[in-house]
Amino acid sequence: MKQRARFSRTAVVGGAALALVLSLSGCGGGSDAADGDTIHVLVYGDAANKVEKELVATFNKTSKVKAVLDTIPGADYQAKLQTIINSKQAPDVFFNWGGGSIKPFVDAGLLLPLDPFIDKDPDLKAKFLPSVFNSAAVDGTSYGIPMRGTQPVLLFNNGKVLKKAGVEPPQTWDDLLAAVKALKADGVTPIALGGGDRWPTLMWFEYLYDRIAGPELFQKALDGDKDAWASPDSRQALGKIRELVDAGAFGTNYDSVKFTDQGSPTLLATGRAGFELMGSWEYSTQQDAHPEFAESDLGYSAFPSVEGGKGDRANLVGNTNNFYSVLKKTKRPEAVAEFLKLMYSDQFVKAQLSIGNLPTTTNTEGLLDTAASPEFAKFQYDMVKEAPAFQLSWDQAYPQSAATAMYQALQQFFNGSMDEDAFIKAMQALPTS
Amino acid sequence: MNRTSAIAKSSKGSKGSKGSKDSEGREAVRKPGPAGIAVGRPGFLWAAPAALFFGLFAIVPLIMVAVLSFASWDGLSDPEFAGLANWKKLLDDPVMIKSLWLSVLLTALGVLVQTPLSILLGVWAAGHQRNRAVLSAIYFVPMLLSIAAVSVLWRALLDPNLGVPAQATWLFGDGNLFGMQASAIGVLVFVSTWQFTPLHTLIYQGAARAVPPVLYQAAQIDGAGRVRQFFHITLPQLRNAIITSMILMVVGGLTTFDTVLILTQGGPGSDTTISAFYMYQKAFKSFDYGSASAIALLLVLVSTLISLIVVRLSGYDKMRSTMEGL
Repeated sequence: MKQRARFSRTAVVGGAALALVLSLSGCGGGSDAADGDTIHVLVYGDAANKVEKELVATFNKTSKVKAVLDTIPGADYQAKLQTIINSKQAPDVFFNWGGGSIKPFVDAGLLLPLDPFIDKDPDLKAKFLPSVFNSAAVDGTSYGIPMRGTQPVLLFNNGKVLKKAGVEPPQTWDDLLAAVKALKADGVTPIALGGGDRWPTLMWFEYLYDRIAGPELFQKALDGDKDAWASPDSRQALGKIRELVDAGAFGTNYDSVKFTDQGSPTLLATGRAGFELMGSWEYSTQQDAHPEFAESDLGYSAFPSVEGGKGDRANLVGNTNNFYSVLKKTKRPEAVAEFLKLMYSDQFVKAQLSIGNLPTTTNTEGLLDTAASPEFAKFQYDMVKEAPAFQLSWDQAYPQSAATAMYQALQQFFNGSMDEDAFIKAMQALPTS
Repeated sequence: MNRTSAIAKSSKGSKGSKGSKDSEGREAVRKPGPAGIAVGRPGFLWAAPAALFFGLFAIVPLIMVAVLSFASWDGLSDPEFAGLANWKKLLDDPVMIKSLWLSVLLTALGVLVQTPLSILLGVWAAGHQRNRAVLSAIYFVPMLLSIAAVSVLWRALLDPNLGVPAQATWLFGDGNLFGMQASAIGVLVFVSTWQFTPLHTLIYQGAARAVPPVLYQAAQIDGAGRVRQFFHITLPQLRNAIITSMILMVVGGLTTFDTVLILTQGGPGSDTTISAFYMYQKAFKSFDYGSASAIALLLVLVSTLISLIVVRLSGYDKMRSTMEGL
């Protein structure tokens, strides 16, 4: 057991704001010569920062106002952003996931509506794929410009395992159930699932709700209509999930497996599982950890359709993209507008493609040959372009205050420790605004 | 005869003593020594640095948290006074009540598992066996590792398909350790035990070494075996060490956080969501700082209460010495 004094934990809460602000101001705030001559760009800190650094350097070459890139390591990003966004240390431009992730900031009146920028430069909207661009709009007003790449969720497979069991990537729900049966008979876990992380489990809910009820049902629930969760379509989707779990599609120990520590990707790569439903980053994950597998046997397809369902098979779920949003109190809106224009430049698209990201600009298509894997990039791009609807991940679409309760309910319904009615009740209890 | 009177008795005979209140032992101790310097209790000044830091980093935040627990604050706008809303919400919240129960359960399991283990190890390590020093050093290694690193390590080791359970299916079944409440709690207790037993072993080793050898010699002459010696001499002599170690376990157990964050994330469902972790979720996942503060305060109250009970029941507050009667 720990020997720490009991006060240290409570001090964390009280002192957190102070500590976070202090630690962040160390990152960049102190280096300003004159406040008005710089804009601060705050980004999620990870390997993709390479491209952001490059773009800031490009911007600074021609601009009088200089951009400064501040990064916060991934896991801490959201908590720190929330802590500083209403303080003096707030950036001018910051990274986010659109939708629910910026709604609290919009509600608090902190964000700049981007429509005036777009009026001046229509390309700031026209150069992006609409389904993606619109997912950063709150109540019809645009608050984000897409940056980085889109991340639709796809059904990945291990070609070798499927071949051995005589299974094709499923087109319909019945195909999927048949594949599960065949793979199980062949002695492998039909579908790898990192249930310990919870968000991979969420993907199954998102797609089944979409295929059965269409994208409108979730939107209704998100807009505050609690009855949506209790509707017949909702119950049907839950029934399908139960059916799949009970068929042994995920084995029995999925709640102890994680995606984030390579657990479920390794199952797929080493042939111990046939499928994995995952964001498009599965490709770069496998390329990194199991390059030979990624090269030869990693297959991918769209999520199957459900007969009689209202949702189009071309509908997607996932992270539509990441976005840059602008703080209302920025002193240099013109410079910010100029900076945002870089997000549809050829240089941006090429740089993102080279690190495996898929930007959602209209000029991406012509540059796909420069991607890390042109074939996969093209497959994804066509899907995103043709998708009638692109459902933002539920945990990002809902306000952050809902995430914990949502994850708990998802996990408990999935592993059978919560029944349909209790799940519906739990989802109805989520805060929607 | 208690300790203070023993000291009084010795000071009575000493030359420097003016002997005015010799019958009152405490007075005698405080008498100025030969050089005119006060002997015995150090002045308050000695405690000033610690008191300052404690005040700044414990008391002040505690007051801030107490204030915040009556407000609603999302970290964005200004905190708004919310009266008892947070507290009412908490008392109606099944997860909150469950989390308190889980905290207490985890603490109790920790004490029950670690205490016998570390007493045995500590008493053993206090002896003079061959290789004792080498083995003791090895046992101490887990204490040197950060709990976060240890948790990540065990999480990977316990992966059902790629870790130990896959190799020992006769023991672990399908390896779904993190998917069921009982086994998830088991893992948490196991990892804490692995990490913190060395510390408590160290406490018991020190205490066991302080047991006067004359007691064992006398027992041997009377024909008591090793087991009897352990139960009738060692264990009673370790009484104060047991209480010290248990208080550390209780306070540490109630505020356990890192293992839960890394190993189970409070899951499956909310089955391992202990209070400290629930507080973290409320504050930094849901951005509900008001409720989080109320949980924090509740945790302080419960920990204080339990610590007081332990102290009272064990008689530790009377500071009785194990040297009595010698």
